[in-house]
Amino acid sequence: MSILGGGIFKGMAVTLRNFVGSYFSKERLTTNDYSWRPDGALPQSIADYPKEEGEQLRDTTTVTNYSRNFPMLLHDGGEPMDTVRCVACQICERECPPQCIYIEKDYDENGKYIKRPAIFDIDVSVCMSCQICVEVCPFDAIVMNSQFELSTPNRFGGLLVRRDDLLKSNDYYHKIHPEEAAARDEKMAAEKAAKAAKKKAAGEKAKAAAEKKAAEAAKAETKEGAE
Amino acid sequence: MNFELLIDILIATVPLMLIFATLFAFTTWLERKALARIQNRIGPNKVGIPCTRIGLFGLGQPAADGIKMLFKEDIVPRGADRLFHLLAPILALIPAMLVLCFLPLEFPWTKSLLPIQAFLLDGAVIFFFAITGLNTLAVFMAGWASRNKYSLLGGMRAVAQMVSYEIPLVLSAVIVVMMVGSLNAAEIADAQKGFDWFVLSPWGFTAFVIFFISALAETNRSPFDLPEAESEIIAGYFTEYSGFKFALFFLGEYIAMFAISGLAVTLFLGGGDGPGLAAAPWLSVVWFIAKIFALIAVMIWLRGTLPRLRVDQLMGFAWRFMLPLSILNILVAGFAWHAQQQDSTIITVITWVASLAILYGTASGLNQLNRGNTRPRKYKYAE
Repeated sequence: MSILGGGIFKGMAVTLRNFVGSYFSKERLTTNDYSWRPDGALPQSIADYPKEEGEQLRDTTTVTNYSRNFPMLLHDGGEPMDTVRCVACQICERECPPQCIYIEKDYDENGKYIKRPAIFDIDVSVCMSCQICVEVCPFDAIVMNSQFELSTPNRFGGLLVRRDDLLKSNDYYHKIHPEEAAARDEKMAAEKAAKAAKKKAAGEKAKAAAEKKAAEAAKAETKEGAE
Repeated sequence: MNFELLIDILIATVPLMLIFATLFAFTTWLERKALARIQNRIGPNKVGIPCTRIGLFGLGQPAADGIKMLFKEDIVPRGADRLFHLLAPILALIPAMLVLCFLPLEFPWTKSLLPIQAFLLDGAVIFFFAITGLNTLAVFMAGWASRNKYSLLGGMRAVAQMVSYEIPLVLSAVIVVMMVGSLNAAEIADAQKGFDWFVLSPWGFTAFVIFFISALAETNRSPFDLPEAESEIIAGYFTEYSGFKFALFFLGEYIAMFAISGLAVTLFLGGGDGPGLAAAPWLSVVWFIAKIFALIAVMIWLRGTLPRLRVDQLMGFAWRFMLPLSILNILVAGFAWHAQQQDSTIITVITWVASLAILYGTASGLNQLNRGNTRPRKYKYAE
């Protein structure tokens, strides 16, 4: 049994560690990291910032391997809609707490359901970045993106991200979140292997059963023959 | 009107206001710095001496904020009740300032003055709760007069919260009043001289924890800052306030924090008691304010640690956990007082162990009872 209120003290220990640590280790002060500057010093005026669109600035100061902002859809390379992992099962749509996902299934000309979304919209003005859609997705099709420059002059349409803008390749995922992507790939490979093994086992079982049946039949035949 | 009396009153009260207003400025800086460090930032570090690059760790920030507030436009929304919109921040500040007089602060220059004795009236503790209760009215007045839905929601939340948490707050103070047999703040502080603090006993500690949590809720501090929850209702009851009226609200809130911490120090932490008092009696003021700051530091620390409660959690915590525990604590303290009258070491030890066991058992039992409603999130559609 844990001590009553122990969780609060645990949390306070974490904040205290950060409080004290910020005075001793410079790496903790990520907002104060000016290593992208030639001299690594604190910028004193606007002239000290890069004049071109600051690629380094963005990479070094804000986005880390663990930052996440809004969800994106994954495809396995090539033509996005051919390799998209999403099958439009709508689990994420139903689990989404603020209900910001809208999905419609895709059908071919015969009216047969092909496993991919025709419409997949995320209203990022409603999304609260809770990552629940990522947790519930059985196909590892939706993951968090770290893109944050989403400002738009259009208040309504501009914040509704469409399917084609949500689609990102697995390589991009590996680029922004390398550890997480590798872990996910491993997990998917393991699942695939397990599935294949199961299928193989099932096939072998059926084969064994058939052999047994055949053997029994042969045995019965020999028995009959002996009589 | 007696002219000398007037001067005496000014000598007694003006330093009090100046000291606590200065401490307020310092506390805003301290809070921003501490929160920043908790979040691995630096915090205000630019505003120091004007026209130079000397930062002074950003100590000039409160002055800059004050000047900004003074020069800002005072906007009153169309359709707002202008009179009550103006009165609310004043009413928020006055009770907070007033109750500072009841704290048993022994300033050297007020020792010989008569009026200061008048402040230390016999019903100081009751008076304290009566006057801090006015704060609820100010908050609701602000919410109502602004003619804004967010303000009204904030005001209503504040009323529900403050009324609920006032009960455990007062009930936990009752224990000290019971043990000392006096409502006089100075007498309560005197009774704890020589490290005989109430917080150092099981019932006193329980009461102190209940008092502190309720004080957090009374002053709308995180994790009970629902009336001004930024992410939900903008700024709650002072959404429609700008300029100096906003600053008054801010000041009132912090002064109320000082006042209620001061009461906690008086009731549970021995008032101005501390080492070195025999040699230098003036140290008692220093100890008193240091203890207030220790409590404020814990408040800031908690603000940096805990997320905000939900409304039902907030109410459930007050009525289902704090109220039964504080009532039981009064019973335990009553028995403990009678046991202490026996003046025998064995009985005292037994009382301590028994009350510790009872209080901890009850607290964890209540915790288990109330746990029924909290489950981990269940996914309905995914498997």
